[in-house]
Amino acid sequence: MTTKNGMITKIKDYMLLREVMVILVILALLTFLFTSRGVPIILTIFIDFAIFAIITMSLNLETGYTGIPQFGRVAAVIVGAFAVGSIPGRIMARFMGFPWGIEYASDTVNFKVVPQITALLASNWLLSLGFLVLSLTVAALSGAAIGWLISRPAIRLKEAYLGISLLAFGDFFMWVGHNWKGMVGGSVPVNVPDPFRIFAGNRFTIIVLVIFTIAFLVFVFLNKLTKSPFGRSLRMIRDNDMAAAAAGKNIVTVRTRSLVIGSALAAIGGGLYVLYVGSVASIGFSRLTFTFWPWAFMMLGGIGSNIGVLLGVFLLCILRTMIVIFRSQWFGFLLVVGIDPLWLEFTLMGAVIIGVILFLPYGLVPEKIEPMLPANRVKRVLAGRQ
Amino acid sequence: MLIVKNLNSGYGKLQILFDLNIEVPDKGLTVVVGPNGAGKTTLLCSIMGIANIFSGEIMFNNIPLAGELTYNLAKKGISYVPQMGNVFAELTVLDNLHMAGYLMPRDEAKDKAAQMTDIFPVLKKFILRKAGTLSGGERRMLAIAMGLMKNPKLMLLDELSTDLAPIIAEKVMMEVSRLRDELGITILMVEQMAKRALEIGDTAYLLVSGEVRYKGKADSLLHEPELCSMYLGIKPPADKKNSYALPTPEEGSE
Amino acid sequence: MTPWMSSGLIYASGLALTAGSVTLIYITTRTFNFAVASMATIGFYVSYTGVILYGGLPYKYYPFVIIIGSIVGLICYYGLNRHLLRRRAAEITLMMSTLGYDLVLLSMIQMYTDFLTKTYKLFPRRVTMNIYDFELFGEKAAAFILPFIAIVFLMGLHMFLTKTKFGVAMRATIENPVLAGASGINSDRVYLVAWVIGGGMAALGGAFIAMAQTGTPVMGMFIIPLMFAGAILGGLGSLYGGILGGFVIGMTEYAGVFYLAQRFGPWVLGYRMGIPLMLMAITLLIFPRGLAGIPLVKLFGLLAGKKRGVNA
Repeated sequence: MTTKNGMITKIKDYMLLREVMVILVILALLTFLFTSRGVPIILTIFIDFAIFAIITMSLNLETGYTGIPQFGRVAAVIVGAFAVGSIPGRIMARFMGFPWGIEYASDTVNFKVVPQITALLASNWLLSLGFLVLSLTVAALSGAAIGWLISRPAIRLKEAYLGISLLAFGDFFMWVGHNWKGMVGGSVPVNVPDPFRIFAGNRFTIIVLVIFTIAFLVFVFLNKLTKSPFGRSLRMIRDNDMAAAAAGKNIVTVRTRSLVIGSALAAIGGGLYVLYVGSVASIGFSRLTFTFWPWAFMMLGGIGSNIGVLLGVFLLCILRTMIVIFRSQWFGFLLVVGIDPLWLEFTLMGAVIIGVILFLPYGLVPEKIEPMLPANRVKRVLAGRQ
Repeated sequence: MLIVKNLNSGYGKLQILFDLNIEVPDKGLTVVVGPNGAGKTTLLCSIMGIANIFSGEIMFNNIPLAGELTYNLAKKGISYVPQMGNVFAELTVLDNLHMAGYLMPRDEAKDKAAQMTDIFPVLKKFILRKAGTLSGGERRMLAIAMGLMKNPKLMLLDELSTDLAPIIAEKVMMEVSRLRDELGITILMVEQMAKRALEIGDTAYLLVSGEVRYKGKADSLLHEPELCSMYLGIKPPADKKNSYALPTPEEGSE
Repeated sequence: MTPWMSSGLIYASGLALTAGSVTLIYITTRTFNFAVASMATIGFYVSYTGVILYGGLPYKYYPFVIIIGSIVGLICYYGLNRHLLRRRAAEITLMMSTLGYDLVLLSMIQMYTDFLTKTYKLFPRRVTMNIYDFELFGEKAAAFILPFIAIVFLMGLHMFLTKTKFGVAMRATIENPVLAGASGINSDRVYLVAWVIGGGMAALGGAFIAMAQTGTPVMGMFIIPLMFAGAILGGLGSLYGGILGGFVIGMTEYAGVFYLAQRFGPWVLGYRMGIPLMLMAITLLIFPRGLAGIPLVKLFGLLAGKKRGVNA
């Protein structure tokens, strides 16, 4: 028995060591970037990190905890982004007496109206806060709606079928976004009123803080959720849906609920991204960026472990940014033959996915199988029975 | 011929067999019986390299088998007739036989297939039909024929009597004992129809929850009434009916 | 032929091949191959490179297309898929691994187009391949030649699968890998051949599709939902189902866009992908296992029974 306990602590030590090492690598990379490029780059990485953390954690809820192969993450993100891009601004325009119908999205009207809304928001902090809350609510609601809608035809399908159907639906929404001029201008970017303009010079820092806070709240929420009875039924269905059904869980309801919650969170991520950038360009929302990158993050971090996902997102966000910044310095030899080193981003993404699958199948921080109740409480319950 | 030593195996992380020791003597019919979930099929799967082997040895004529890939085992002269899915339903009967003789040269496979249709005349009738259209009994016949196609030194038979009518099951059992007597093939058979199997078998093992509970002569297991009634559902012989009644609840809980 | 029909035929043949490739690799190795996207794009770029650098008709270079596609498939099997199959990885893991491979291939394609642009002063990012085609009976010749090539290719594949010993062994492995292994069929080799044939099919399909649409480095990336839709529509059970599914998807897209645009105006063109996806969604709603799930035998049985009833 003692040797077994010793083994367990050894394994625990080892896992802790791995987490510490990853954090050390991240810190080293950050220091390097800080010394060579200064604060703005670090803040960009933080924003990337926080937004992708929200999206990847939502993906982890659906894929890691529920076992739905969500290959259509981009759908919810894009819906959240479009909702923030179209609805709150229109509401403001309506109250201020500007055109708010289809013409709101046309570029000639849009670039005149939006600055005025932004100016109004900048004059009153309560209005700004209200606008932010309204945007996020709208994003979450529309994300939840789209999650429910997508789940209708897809949820009864099995593994590969489900994954591919989700991918197809994700693409479908992408196409709608690219073509529906009336909502957010199709391929022409639409500006979004900026609730952070009130902070003038500190806008960037405040955005980082706000998005970080929201990411943290999502993290806490998901941790609570996955430890709740609902989280237990999620894992039950993932591990053995037949047994779960036999135990009286309604598989379809639970999976639908997971899809709805996950999509709402992802939509919040998309909405925050739009607020940060200040405009919605539907071309920017591609399957690569908002489905496959989060998958790579999640696989590196460890499917089914939220801490792992955070580490994975952070590490890869830094590496990705580094490729972008240092592309001409480090990969200049490619430029000689006319190759843009930006493509190395895809190589990195692919290599990470392949490498993780081959050499690190459970990711940086493998999912810990924990009893739902702490051991001492179980003992107390047992003692109470006798 | 086949020696299994301290075998621990299972699927994935799930361990099913615990320190199993089994010997299959040459030219004999070894029967493995036991209740559902005892790990009988897993034993055969471990030998064939389908289940995961955690530790232990499997020696076949002094060649270690553990860790070999399935298709290499077929080359060594072991043939395996699974319980379910033991024919290729989408292929014709003839193609099935040819596939079973995949490792032979074409002409030899043809001869052998002709030989098989002689042994099992029922197959001759349906030679160009898809195997999926055969009845349960015909399928078993085809499965055994496919097992024999390979000129095996050792045959692993998994629950041949499943979903067969009692009369046909009886016929299949007779066929198996004929294989041993006339062709001199070593057979390791897993069987649910315990009584009949123990009657024709030479050596027997009783497997319970992944462990060997009995090993010895096959027919003497039939004279172990407690084991028989507890694990095999065989009623004790009529003459001892009163002294060996079914276990009462108190006995069962011990 | 109506205008949509000729390019629709070309496109549908291409989709049939790619969807067939997806299905073939799925039924043998349980791997949903994302890399089919880049394989198709690679096929297109091989034919493009041949035509632009060495001249002649695109058809001349199709053997090379198949060979290079096969090599890409071979690398994927040896480098990636084999290890995971040995490990008995889950379906999702297998799928993700090909996604990683696809991204690496995609970056290579992008780099290759950069290289072509700079070295040969070409414009390989937007290519209309059908300008290199000739006219036949007042139509683009591809509308006749490509379906013909596809049919010949598929008939060859059918002969291979039914008449040769290894082909039958492949079918046996697809149906029952355990029993096939116990019969001494080398499953490794079966998987390898599936990847090689699948790679060749996907590349050829990509070269076809580029004859109907604008070829770009992300061409495969865009069409991949349709390839999958074709495979799923075919039920993922049989190779022929996948091929049929791909063809149906392709034809529906062209016919649907043509007639809907006539009826509602050209804005429909933007949503062209939605039409086949809608078809897939409806099929899945009614038959969760695709076209293969349609109880044809039962249906025919019913009809036959009715007939008998009428006669009696």
